[in-house]
Amino acid sequence: MAVLSPAQRQAVRSAWAQKLSIDHDPCSLTKLQMQAAVDAADDWAEANAASFNSALPLAARTNLTAAQKAQLLAYVVLKRWGGQL
Amino acid sequence: MASGQTMAIFTAQMSSPPASNYATLDTRNDHPVLDYDDTTGESSYFQDVLPRNYNGGGLTATIGFSASTATTGNVVWDLSIERIDDSSLDIDADSFASAQSVTAAAPGTSGMVKYATIAFTAGAQMDNLAAGEMYRLKLARNAASGGDTMSGDAEINFLELRET
Repeated sequence: MAVLSPAQRQAVRSAWAQKLSIDHDPCSLTKLQMQAAVDAADDWAEANAASFNSALPLAARTNLTAAQKAQLLAYVVLKRWGGQL
Repeated sequence: MASGQTMAIFTAQMSSPPASNYATLDTRNDHPVLDYDDTTGESSYFQDVLPRNYNGGGLTATIGFSASTATTGNVVWDLSIERIDDSSLDIDADSFASAQSVTAAAPGTSGMVKYATIAFTAGAQMDNLAAGEMYRLKLARNAASGGDTMSGDAEINFLELRET
């Protein structure tokens, strides 16, 4: 899968800013700085997708769809940092 | 003399929304606020009658705003006036004068309310509004402006008009 398009990355930034706003979670980044962080995270996900896939046990690696694997990673990461599932 | 005197005070609950892209009512520690998105340009209307003790001067708006999440960056506020005089304006269409703007820095501490001002000279900037006449204000966040760098929602706590 290729990296997100610029419009998709902007949508992620906007949604993330909304989430922070709803939670009144202080964040000292400007819009541009947030966007740079989103872009870097997407680049990292692209560069490490194969590595994550290889880390999964065989059953998950062969039976989960790509979307399900992404959900798995998202759930684990959110839980590690106190996010709501 | 009305110079320096308050002409109107508006709080979040006194707003009315446009048909689309409207700021949304919210609370912050039970304080009513209007949330303006940082991506989509949103606006709200406020309506009143200019008091009879208005003395023909300009108007200065004070916007009290806070930031839902940010402690850095700037917000661009646009404010415009629409005069609704006696038997003149057809209110089925908008007729706002050109907006006046302010670029205001976010409060440095989350939860604080920052006061920003926008000045209108008497005449065309005020849509030639006169004492005793009904008017609307349109307060918008110019989220698309390059000067609007603050991330997350900007929250309106109050809007005050005083004669300059």
